[in-house]
Amino acid sequence: MSERPLPRRGLERLDLLLLAIEALDLHGSEAMLWCCDQLGLSGQFPDRVTLWRSRCRNPLRRASRRGQLGTDEARALITLACTLAQRVYPLLRQLVSSREPADLTAQRWALFRDRFSDLVRERFNVRRGAVRQLLDDREGEALRRAIVESLLLSAGPGGAARLEASLRDAQR
Amino acid sequence: MTQFSSLFSLGGPTGAPLRLRFEQSSARLDLFGLPDVTRDPESAADSQQRLGILTRWELAIGQQATLEGRLDHLQGLLEVVLTYVRRLISSSPRHCGGEAQRVEIEPREGGHLLTVHSSQPDTPPLRLVLDSAELADLTQCLDQMLNDPRIALPLVPPAARPLPRRDLPRSAPLAQRLLAPTAAAASLLATAALVSLVPLPRPEPGRGAPSTVAAPSARGATTGR
Repeated sequence: MSERPLPRRGLERLDLLLLAIEALDLHGSEAMLWCCDQLGLSGQFPDRVTLWRSRCRNPLRRASRRGQLGTDEARALITLACTLAQRVYPLLRQLVSSREPADLTAQRWALFRDRFSDLVRERFNVRRGAVRQLLDDREGEALRRAIVESLLLSAGPGGAARLEASLRDAQR
Repeated sequence: MTQFSSLFSLGGPTGAPLRLRFEQSSARLDLFGLPDVTRDPESAADSQQRLGILTRWELAIGQQATLEGRLDHLQGLLEVVLTYVRRLISSSPRHCGGEAQRVEIEPREGGHLLTVHSSQPDTPPLRLVLDSAELADLTQCLDQMLNDPRIALPLVPPAARPLPRRDLPRSAPLAQRLLAPTAAAASLLATAALVSLVPLPRPEPGRGAPSTVAAPSARGATTGR
């Protein structure tokens, strides 16, 4: 895989995937720190602030930091996202399964939409077009579904290479 | 709910058949085979615990069907499904596979159409519509199999590569994407046209110009002396 820094789009998507995990798991931010410790990523992310500063490389953030994310840091965040996706795999699966009762699925999506939108409004710059798209009722639905499917299909250790390749799209 | 990594093996003394199972909520992959002790004679004890010869495999998907095959069929399934999933993560799913690999998969309204061609003559292909949850379960089973150290099969997963720009979905229609650069070019042209209409300042006679002409001659006179 390339040693070049993640492109801007990739940074945005990676942060959105982590945000979706936080929307699904009420203890998502605590789980991130615990996972960093378990995965041996404490060197890159020793505390909450360091992790937050890495995620703030996302240009869509309200408090965005200039500059690019280092390759090692980006790989660590990708590993973290895939591990956390594995943790919330049953919840992700319920959202996209056609075997679940339709009304229950609709309620789950509504809950996810509300929590996700709250987090986006709280942390992202809502004046940006891409953020407004996320919060839009019609366009946002397809984007949220794409985020959930991406997490579902990159869950676990096997998904890290797929997710990294996807985050580097158009960078060949 | 999801049963994570429910694997087991039935192994025994030298040459005893091995069975490995990779299971999720709606997908179950069973591999049947034998250890290949000839592959690495120096570590024969390890080789006896590793599945090196695949006699057959079975895949049950979503209580819809059970597929069976040999190693080349499993390689085909692996290539096609993981390539499709890689594209799906980028929100750019496209038809993958073909009759050569005996497996095809393509997006279908509300799901993914998996077509499996039988190697038996006059047998129609099996078509299954999977939802994203079933596809994810199948992917998890394949990932578990690839990462299992007890498997010594020559299976090669497809390389995960970034997609070229032309394959990516456009977030905005062409007219919308061209709007900003067109407006920028138009405003540049308009500004240039307005600036060209402003008259250039002309030098006033008797101020500035004569002095610049006179200076060299004065210097010339000095040096000549």
